[in-house]
Amino acid sequence: MARRVAVVGAGMTKFVRRAQETGKELAWEASREALASCELPLDRIDAVCLTSAPDAFDGVHMKGEYLSDGAGAFGRPYMRTYVGGGSGVFTAIQAYYTVASGMADVVLAVAEEKMSSTQPHPQGAFLTIFDNILERPLGPNLLWIFALEMNRYMTVHGIDKRDIAAVAVKNKRNAADHPAALLGQADITIEDVLASETLAWPVQRLDVSPISDGAVAIVVASEEAAKQITSDPVWIQGVGWNLDTAYWTNRDLVFPEYVANAARMAYGMAGVTEPRKQIHVAEPYDPFDYKELHHLEGLLLFDKGKAPEAARDGVLDRKGDLPSCPSGGLLGVGNPIAAAGLMKLAELFWQLRGEAGARQVPGTPERGVAQAWGDLMQVGTVVVMGREGGPPTTATQLETPPAATPPAATPPAATPPAATPATSLSDAEFRSATGAVEDEIGAKYAWDAGVAIGRFLDGLREGKILGRECRVCHRVLVPPRMFCERDFRGTDAWVQVENTGVVQTFSICNVRWDMQPLDEPELPAVISIDGSNGGFLHTLGEVKPDEVTIGMKVEAVWKPVGERTGSILDIAYFRPRTDG
Amino acid sequence: MLEKIARPEEIRRWDGDMPVRHRYTPGVAGDAFFTALKDRGVLLGSRCEHCSYTYVPARLFCERCFAELAADTEVGPGGELVSFTIVFVGIEGEPLESPRTIGAVRLDGADAVVIHRVLEPGEEPLEIGERVEVVVRPDTQRTGSVLDIEGFRVGG
Repeated sequence: MARRVAVVGAGMTKFVRRAQETGKELAWEASREALASCELPLDRIDAVCLTSAPDAFDGVHMKGEYLSDGAGAFGRPYMRTYVGGGSGVFTAIQAYYTVASGMADVVLAVAEEKMSSTQPHPQGAFLTIFDNILERPLGPNLLWIFALEMNRYMTVHGIDKRDIAAVAVKNKRNAADHPAALLGQADITIEDVLASETLAWPVQRLDVSPISDGAVAIVVASEEAAKQITSDPVWIQGVGWNLDTAYWTNRDLVFPEYVANAARMAYGMAGVTEPRKQIHVAEPYDPFDYKELHHLEGLLLFDKGKAPEAARDGVLDRKGDLPSCPSGGLLGVGNPIAAAGLMKLAELFWQLRGEAGARQVPGTPERGVAQAWGDLMQVGTVVVMGREGGPPTTATQLETPPAATPPAATPPAATPPAATPATSLSDAEFRSATGAVEDEIGAKYAWDAGVAIGRFLDGLREGKILGRECRVCHRVLVPPRMFCERDFRGTDAWVQVENTGVVQTFSICNVRWDMQPLDEPELPAVISIDGSNGGFLHTLGEVKPDEVTIGMKVEAVWKPVGERTGSILDIAYFRPRTDG
Repeated sequence: MLEKIARPEEIRRWDGDMPVRHRYTPGVAGDAFFTALKDRGVLLGSRCEHCSYTYVPARLFCERCFAELAADTEVGPGGELVSFTIVFVGIEGEPLESPRTIGAVRLDGADAVVIHRVLEPGEEPLEIGERVEVVVRPDTQRTGSVLDIEGFRVGG
């Protein structure tokens, strides 16, 4: 049976642009702060869990190994885990099971990200998360995914953009009270958000969290060790994680079922049966303002489509019924990706101990939930933390022996923990720093299509859209695959589907991947293909941007036969159906 | 289903890259190290008294005990050749016009080892354990780079 596990310390650097510190130095600053917060020397740490998002951000291959010294991993069991944006919360889950299993008593969990290294823009590293054969030829940028999801979420539920903008306002105002915040702004208004530049409609600049550098660390301990270390542990009551299909255009873009699955796992472990009553403070993942609302619904804290009203009515404010992102979140504190996720656990730790200072939510919260999201936009990672208890115990579990030494007499801090400084360089300092070098990996790739997509592309050259049928789940899969990921068996037959479809969602995109303006806006869309249970990403043409609607019936416009090459671009674009 | 690919150029394939470069700044300790190298032509390390270990280049913290360290310990210029290799091919596997010798050296006063070129090793075969000395470029040529060090000269 799993042992009870607590968080006993936390620390973080300031989140900044262009940190002077190296990634190792940032990791050390946060780790040292976390250890100091519970007065532990490094030699009390039995194992180290680390996370950092893509290697391409720092531009260091095997970043886990590179960061190990700053994370205190010298001579210890050590592993970097990685689930994209979900990583920061996941590294706490990794620390949880390392301790719960009995493999270690005290674990340091560290999350670091240094995005300023990536030139000209970190989005360049994100481009390769798109399918290299089916999507990259369309010239996508990362904003497309968010804009497409946000548009469908808004349209299906009839959400007012103002109610989504209220989240950005709340979080940037909350962050004004956070000593580590990059973008705290006490006087920002909904009008400011709605007046900001439209990047990829409906996403505007102030809907988006800022690129940042930073690190966060927490100390996780077994019950016995925790009681020796502090009189005020915060228990990890439940953890959960879950993945949706890797085919994002085959996913329900309105509701994050994978977050709900992860939440059910974590709530079940924590004995939470009525999350709306039993969760007192939430730190959902908010890289974009609508994502916080999306995730609050996924966390089963609001009915589908109802979280925006809560934002509008102040329910999510620090003094509201369900304070959400009292830290200021990614939108306000900053988004050094992996570090931002672990920051959410650090915030719950401070909130539940009553140490959050000006950010403290009223009413002595007893239980909170932290959540992050990522991978190919498909993973949900959830941790429930509380003042009391832990996972349900069984009769067979041995009594925990009394602590060998009395709890350390460290009273709760009277003032909130100050952020460890991270030094932000000006752009000129960053460009001229002594010893700095600029380089590139210089690797090029050649991707082959594989079996299913190879045949799909042959079909496109012939003017046909092909899917694969699974006769167990009765789905026709587009894009086709040779195996069904639900039934985990070979698919049964090739099926030619229609050349027509329905716009599931679309965006009007004004910027390139490096955030430079486009001369003409692009119209990316997810199109569900008639006769299939799937669809794919493409662009719309022969239609004015303001005439596109979700649910619009469209047809493929093929390139002339002689110009087709067996590529997704053999379909020039989709246009409104001409046959009525 | 899987066959050996004999003519990769005939496979339908998509060529691509990841359109990013990286700008690496040296950090807090690295800034002190490169500034001292550029301005004074010396190599700075960091000494952890608790662990009795001297790192070079300088570091902000001791990875063994997590103590904060200062970049204030000059090491070298003399040192001991800990290991070496003679490189005959470039990164694409192409033969080099003249082989390059790379040495790992423990500088006097340091515990950590640094890697750099061995300059004109000469007729006598190199021997692990022999004395070498760091050669720093003249101050007018130094830019604050690891290449401000020309390499290790045998002897000294």
